[in-house]
Amino acid sequence: MSKRADARLGGRTVVVTGAGQGVGEGIARACAAEGANVVIAARRAETGDPVAAAIRDDGGEAVCIVTDVTRRDAMAACVDETVRRYGALEIMVHNAYRGASPHRLEDVDLELWERNSRTAVWGSYYSAVLAYPHLEVAGSRGRLILVTSPSGVEGSVNIPIYSPVKAAQRAMTKSLSREWGPKGITVNCIAPVAASPSLVDAFRQNPVLEERVASRTSLRRIGDPERDIGSVAVFLASDDGGYVTGQTLVCDGGSFMGL
Amino acid sequence: MGTALAGTRVVVTGADAEPGRGLQEALREAGADVVGATDPSYETRGDAEVALAGAVERLAGHPLDAVVHSAMPAIAFEAVDFADVDDERWEAVWEGVMRSTLFVLQAAYGQLKERGGAILLITPTVAMSGAARLVPYTTAVEGQRLLAKSAARQWGPDGIRINCLAPAPEHFPIGVDSMTVSLAPPALGGPGDVVRDLGPVAAWLVSDAAHFVTGVTVCADGGVWMAP
Repeated sequence: MSKRADARLGGRTVVVTGAGQGVGEGIARACAAEGANVVIAARRAETGDPVAAAIRDDGGEAVCIVTDVTRRDAMAACVDETVRRYGALEIMVHNAYRGASPHRLEDVDLELWERNSRTAVWGSYYSAVLAYPHLEVAGSRGRLILVTSPSGVEGSVNIPIYSPVKAAQRAMTKSLSREWGPKGITVNCIAPVAASPSLVDAFRQNPVLEERVASRTSLRRIGDPERDIGSVAVFLASDDGGYVTGQTLVCDGGSFMGL
Repeated sequence: MGTALAGTRVVVTGADAEPGRGLQEALREAGADVVGATDPSYETRGDAEVALAGAVERLAGHPLDAVVHSAMPAIAFEAVDFADVDDERWEAVWEGVMRSTLFVLQAAYGQLKERGGAILLITPTVAMSGAARLVPYTTAVEGQRLLAKSAARQWGPDGIRINCLAPAPEHFPIGVDSMTVSLAPPALGGPGDVVRDLGPVAAWLVSDAAHFVTGVTVCADGGVWMAP
């Protein structure tokens, strides 16, 4: 990866949570390829460090900051360290999520609820509120991108509690886009279907699922985290996406079309 | 008094404030036996179970047919710059609303699973459109709406339907009017009256006439929000 003069995110700094794997890693790599300084905010150094190293090996700029998105102090430290290192934070991408496993809604206990709520929704809240002072400085280059899911629109029969926490992110996106729009900041969601480790794992446990998911897509394939999803994040993060805000971009190969 | 809901037993949470109060009145006018829940804060599943069991007692022990969940903590309606939303507020609004809704749904499931029935959540259109300074509230209401969709998908085989009724923002103390939701004025002239205009929609959604309708959001806002 060489420093191109036409790199769309040249000189900008992006934090991607949950970037140690899957969609987060894909978004981080795609942003790095467009010249961004990338902070891999990963829960574990074992996953985050290799992603940052791989980006640097390709000629990009990246660092891993071990971050627990469910804790305010940890997210604050991540944001502070990012700005100390790179001088600014223009783009905050919250992708981290943990907690999906099949369940019955009538059996959901506080432990399962919390796991979903903390990573998806509290993580979004901390990402947004702690990045805000820096996004405000960035003005029309300020971006908040939340990674949600088509399940957040459709509801889910297998993992019912996943849908409300993903819907919450979409609602935050709409209200925040209205609140922060006058500052020039855009706020959007990406709803991907991509070959993340969790989905690949689900396919391994249930081989019929992969065929079912793929055959439901118009394009008959599962998205690639960097090429198919990362490219959409780059568009939203770049000046090209500067007039798109409050939206959910569904990147699922043409499956859900209900918006 | 109508008869569309004759013999239908409904409990309404949040019946001490609009729009719950008006919906309770409308359901009663449609012939239902309605009781307002003596709302606890629904901090635990047990709170919700006790509240619904109390309602059944007041219905002379007859089983419930429908639950209308309209309770909302007052703090949820407060407009605040997002930058000033602290953990305590996020906890009270997002966690408070979602946990109480989850617990009410679970308690309702316990009451309805043997005979089937209907659950109705009240989710104003402003949550779908978004609104500045109302991030916690709109986030929580959209969470409720998707909880309803997931519940509808899982509990359909049990004969339980879950839908959402979306009134105009004027029916809630949030200082937002319909023109915030859409540039176009209400096609039917205004946000309507809870008893006269929203009531019949709520009555229909909990009645057997809507037996094939589940997981949907019905906007009864005078013709403002028309997405999708």
